[in-house]
Amino acid sequence: MNKPLTALTDEELIKEFQDNNTLEAYEYLVKRYKDPLMNFVYRFVGDRDVCTDIVQDTMIKFYLNKDSYRSFAKFSTWIYTIAGNLAKNELKRRRRRNIFSINNNDDEKTPQIEDKMFLSPDRTADGQIKNEIIQKALLKVKPVYREVVILRDIQDLSYEEISEITGLAIGTVKSRINRGRIQLQKLLKHIYRE
Amino acid sequence: MNKIYSENEQKQYKLIKDLKELPKLKAPENFEYNLMTKIQNKNFGESLNQKSQFNFVKFFAPSAIVVTIVLLFFIFLPSSNQRNVPSNSPRIIENQAIADNSVAPFKKEENAKNSNQASQNTISIPQLSHSSNERPLNQIDDSRSVKVDDYISGANSNQKGLERGNIVNGGSEPAGDNGFFISERPDKKTLDKYRARVDSVKKEQLKADSLKKVQKTH
Repeated sequence: MNKPLTALTDEELIKEFQDNNTLEAYEYLVKRYKDPLMNFVYRFVGDRDVCTDIVQDTMIKFYLNKDSYRSFAKFSTWIYTIAGNLAKNELKRRRRRNIFSINNNDDEKTPQIEDKMFLSPDRTADGQIKNEIIQKALLKVKPVYREVVILRDIQDLSYEEISEITGLAIGTVKSRINRGRIQLQKLLKHIYRE
Repeated sequence: MNKIYSENEQKQYKLIKDLKELPKLKAPENFEYNLMTKIQNKNFGESLNQKSQFNFVKFFAPSAIVVTIVLLFFIFLPSSNQRNVPSNSPRIIENQAIADNSVAPFKKEENAKNSNQASQNTISIPQLSHSSNERPLNQIDDSRSVKVDDYISGANSNQKGLERGNIVNGGSEPAGDNGFFISERPDKKTLDKYRARVDSVKKEQLKADSLKKVQKTH
């Protein structure tokens, strides 16, 4: 291969890693995807430390199962699928832990959204607080809707890519995105008054 | 359909815009270093061990459902099963009793000859399981039967269980499960007679066998 590794596409890089076990190609792919995956998983799970662990696990899975990637699929959708599955597993584990734990602390279980009564209009306008509120509302949306909303509106992926990642039909993806947005808007009705 | 989605997108324009403008989270600086260290040390931790963990909830939830179904099945089934179990009629029992002790038919003539001799032998005859005091298994409850004599004479005014489907019984004898037929009890004398014959044949056969053995040894 004459091209430098930096100039290679994702698919070319993984092929290089698959064929010649070039660790450098793997490192380039990690560099490219660590931040988008961190962002996606953080928005989905809502915990920075857990999110870092999940993305690390995603990269390890990618390293260990590199041969399970098939060239007809896009690398981005493949890696997003792994990360998404691990994030869902984490949510399931949390739910189980909450069911069996003796001290069921509701504050830990569900993030609280500040009521509009406690926020003055000028505070709501403040970008940082608004972002926090949106994030907390996002975590209250059902995971099936949350995942697609994040992929579409935060990660800027196309419907086709989301359909590949989630394994859903494009129509289902669209309807889920729509429902997710409606749920989110209901939760944030004090910010988005029609 | 797409129109609806695009209309909704217009309505949710502000929300979508805010979602797009959410700050992008970045991986910690030591992310790659930690990852490569894990890979070099082959410290793959949880990502590999998770598969082997036994999940109690996943195991017990389906098994609990199965156990419940089986229990329900056994609770509700016997009432319908009791009626379906075929019971032996006295006539069949009689035939079976004879068949148990029976020998080949060609030896019947021999039996007749030795009948007198056999009657002198002390033979222990096993009692039939359905003697006059005992009721056969799976017999339908007498309380549901109707005594025809009482019914005709009008003495049944207080008798319960005259619903449709009750069994008509001919007199005070316990009703068998023979529906509208009056049960015919096996004749004990005939049974004894047959048994005595069968036993004598058996004895004669044993004698003949022992004689043959003696002859062979000589």
